[in-house]
Amino acid sequence: MIGMIFILSYCLVALVRIIMQLPGNDRKKFFISLVTPKTMAKNIRDIFCDCLFHVKLWKRNKLLGYMHSSIAFGWFMLIVVGHIEVLLYTPHRAKLLYFPIFFRYFVAETEETMRGAFFFFLMDFFLLMVLSGIFLAMFKRIQSGVFGMRRTTNPSFLDLIGLYSLWAIFPLRLLAEGFTADISGGSFLTKSLNYVLHSFLSDHANMLPAWWAYSCALGIFLIVLPFTRYMHIPAEILLIPLRNAGIKIRNARKGLAKAEVYACPSCGLCIDACPMGVMKTHIKDTTVYLNRQIRRNNERRIEEISDKCLLCGKCTAICPVGVEGDKLRIAQRSLRKYAINQDYSGIDTDQLHVKGEKVMYFAGCMTALTPAISKAMESLLRKAGVSYSFMDRDGGICCGRPMLMAGRFDQARQMVEKNTEIIKASGADTLLLSCPICYRIFREKYRLEGIRIIHHTEYIAELIRQGRLSMDKGYTKYVFHDPCELGRGCGVYEEPREVLSYAGELVEATKNRKESICCGGSLGSLTLGFDKRKSMTENALANLTEASPDVIATACPLCRSTFVRYADRPVEDIAEIIDRNCI
Amino acid sequence: MKENILIIGGGIAGLEAAAQLFRLGYNPIIVEKEDHLGGHVAGWNRLFPDMSPAEDLVARLTEAAGEANIFLNTRIAFVNKLKDSYNIMLTNGISVITRILLFATGFSLFDASKKEEYGYGVYDKVMTNRDLENWFNTGQDERIPEEGPRAMGFVHCVGSRDEKAKNPQCSKVCCITAVKQAIEMKQKFPDAMVYCFYMDLRMFGKKYEDFYISAQRDYGVRFIRGRVSEVSENIEGNLVVKAEDTLSGKPIKVTLDLLVLMSGIVCNQEICKSAAQLSLPMDSDGFLKSRDNVADIIESPKEGIFYAGACTGPKTVPETLAEARSAALEIHNYIISSRK
Repeated sequence: MIGMIFILSYCLVALVRIIMQLPGNDRKKFFISLVTPKTMAKNIRDIFCDCLFHVKLWKRNKLLGYMHSSIAFGWFMLIVVGHIEVLLYTPHRAKLLYFPIFFRYFVAETEETMRGAFFFFLMDFFLLMVLSGIFLAMFKRIQSGVFGMRRTTNPSFLDLIGLYSLWAIFPLRLLAEGFTADISGGSFLTKSLNYVLHSFLSDHANMLPAWWAYSCALGIFLIVLPFTRYMHIPAEILLIPLRNAGIKIRNARKGLAKAEVYACPSCGLCIDACPMGVMKTHIKDTTVYLNRQIRRNNERRIEEISDKCLLCGKCTAICPVGVEGDKLRIAQRSLRKYAINQDYSGIDTDQLHVKGEKVMYFAGCMTALTPAISKAMESLLRKAGVSYSFMDRDGGICCGRPMLMAGRFDQARQMVEKNTEIIKASGADTLLLSCPICYRIFREKYRLEGIRIIHHTEYIAELIRQGRLSMDKGYTKYVFHDPCELGRGCGVYEEPREVLSYAGELVEATKNRKESICCGGSLGSLTLGFDKRKSMTENALANLTEASPDVIATACPLCRSTFVRYADRPVEDIAEIIDRNCI
Repeated sequence: MKENILIIGGGIAGLEAAAQLFRLGYNPIIVEKEDHLGGHVAGWNRLFPDMSPAEDLVARLTEAAGEANIFLNTRIAFVNKLKDSYNIMLTNGISVITRILLFATGFSLFDASKKEEYGYGVYDKVMTNRDLENWFNTGQDERIPEEGPRAMGFVHCVGSRDEKAKNPQCSKVCCITAVKQAIEMKQKFPDAMVYCFYMDLRMFGKKYEDFYISAQRDYGVRFIRGRVSEVSENIEGNLVVKAEDTLSGKPIKVTLDLLVLMSGIVCNQEICKSAAQLSLPMDSDGFLKSRDNVADIIESPKEGIFYAGACTGPKTVPETLAEARSAALEIHNYIISSRK
């Protein structure tokens, strides 16, 4: 009872605090979204799918999905059916919150309740379901591999208390109900347990300690809940409508960021996903540990973990509750104070103005360092008869994404403004990019109304479809490496594959698309050295070459130059491959 | 019977050691993978600081080592360790039993196409230091027009002192090589503008500093302190080179019609296999590990295996020759002491 009141008031206060921490317009947006029928329906659907049925986990691993949904949905149904019982049989008690939980203790079996055998059956059924889930959870502690998880999180002390009390609740409930089944009634599980118990323990006085133990376990669980990973249960219910309202992280510790941190169930799926995980020493730099450190306000570790990350976004992509590990880290980085803050407002864009063609090609810094790509791209544009202008042939301004990744929003904004000026003055209607790092910030942060922003893989696919480039299909086997910024970052998965299939045979990497492994060269990390990155690159290469392709194809100049260093076979950009194979 | 000594590599270190060992009364056997002796030096034109022809040096060394057994176009197939000696099978079918091995395997030149931003293999007017030496020797290279380049640049430290290129070591000889080649180009084409893009100029050797000052004063070579950031090609096919002049603190951009990349020295990748067969350790710089980097640079941690020259790190020609001689002497002492 105390536990219940405590947890409800705690959640309420937390809820109000998080909502109050949202900036004014976001809060307004949130409340409007709550009453908009479309998002309301989506909220309810998402809460059911994610919190109760754990659809995402089912997709990952059936056992893992069953374990979670049996506990969550089973428990939920126990509460629902319990309430129905109370409403039906003892309506005058329905106002008492604790009554349904201990219903069997208070109610003696009468003629009336016997007719409710259906509900009793349901109760026992769901109890069995929860118990099976708990059993799986115990098994998972020993053998996480069966659940598709190579490594799991190391639980903290309070987490362990929460864990053991959660494990204890339902077996104790079974025991307690077993003792009272002959008085209060029961069904296949509790009744039969009752017979077994009575064969050697016939004293009803035994039931009191059992009920006490059950209620203690429940109480402990509810009291420690806010301080353990189980806080994700209430936090996720808040996170879903916040996310559906389209709210973004605006403060490193408050508002949505806080909701995400608390919604982290510490499941540790991100540990296996993290490309740094190839080295054991980096396990504690994964998102789950970041969330734990943020909850503990351990600033030193927060900084270390945030700076080390490659920002590949894979933990975000696979997170079952939708914690945005990459954005959370960028937000932490933005707290940093620098002694020198570069000022780019003095850059004279007049010298950089490009006039003329409708299609404007922006190669970006990374392509400038891999001239083979821009050369191939120009050759392709000429072959297709596209008249284009080359925005940064003679030097240009960085797109701003590296500064954004470093959390230096003001510097990034200045570059965005300068580039916007140049692009708008050029009169172009299409902006073509060969670097996914640029592509992402152009899509997300630039306001270029009326100008189409397109990545070169999409553009090449279009040119081939329109017949402006004709391909000579060869027998070379290609594997496509999904660059983080293009795939997870911008959701472009199909066009590169389509383009490659025009050039030759396409094979797939073991982990691809959303689960593609970062090449290790990412600009995202501020502190990782080359020696550390090397093992990540080698791991990513091993994943790519499983189907023994002849050529590793990618669509990012940075991935390309990273792979070239360690690959045992050619690594090429899609533009180079198409340029070679088109007639 | 004369003691067999197997020398792996017929470059200047191998030749010099063979000549010395022969004079000491042993039977040196040189195994060379190429079809000629002299290694990298044989492909060079003139040697700093006195501009002496490399050809003469190689000819002299070859003549001195003439009495040794020399197998060209031959590699080591496999090695069997016997009780106190090695049975070495060569790819030409001959097997050698010896107690003593001398690694004179030298170095490989860093593959400049790995530094993609400099455009080697992508742009038509980019070459390496070796390509330029080859042109000095043969006069044949499409990249260099007959009337000479109007403006050309040398990029120092390509694939050396570069963590990204997996080689953080200084290659030692490229600074002076670049200065030498810059002077040679100026001698051939006095009207050409010649730039050197450098990080530091490491003029440590005899008369190197004089050479450098002469390049500035007498030849007007322009030295720009700063790394080249990127190279692009303009419409005429000339190269636009961007760099930072760190002395004036300004970014600079020059248009060149020839760019020479000073490829650094990396360990000869082929010898890694032979070294692994003999379980010889590699040092953290990627070269063979000596017993002691101060006192015993020519000795391996293994009994009877010796090193000479650039297999233990970048070295100049005189340093290599001196090491070859001291390795010969060390082998001699080893044999005498083991006979007792």
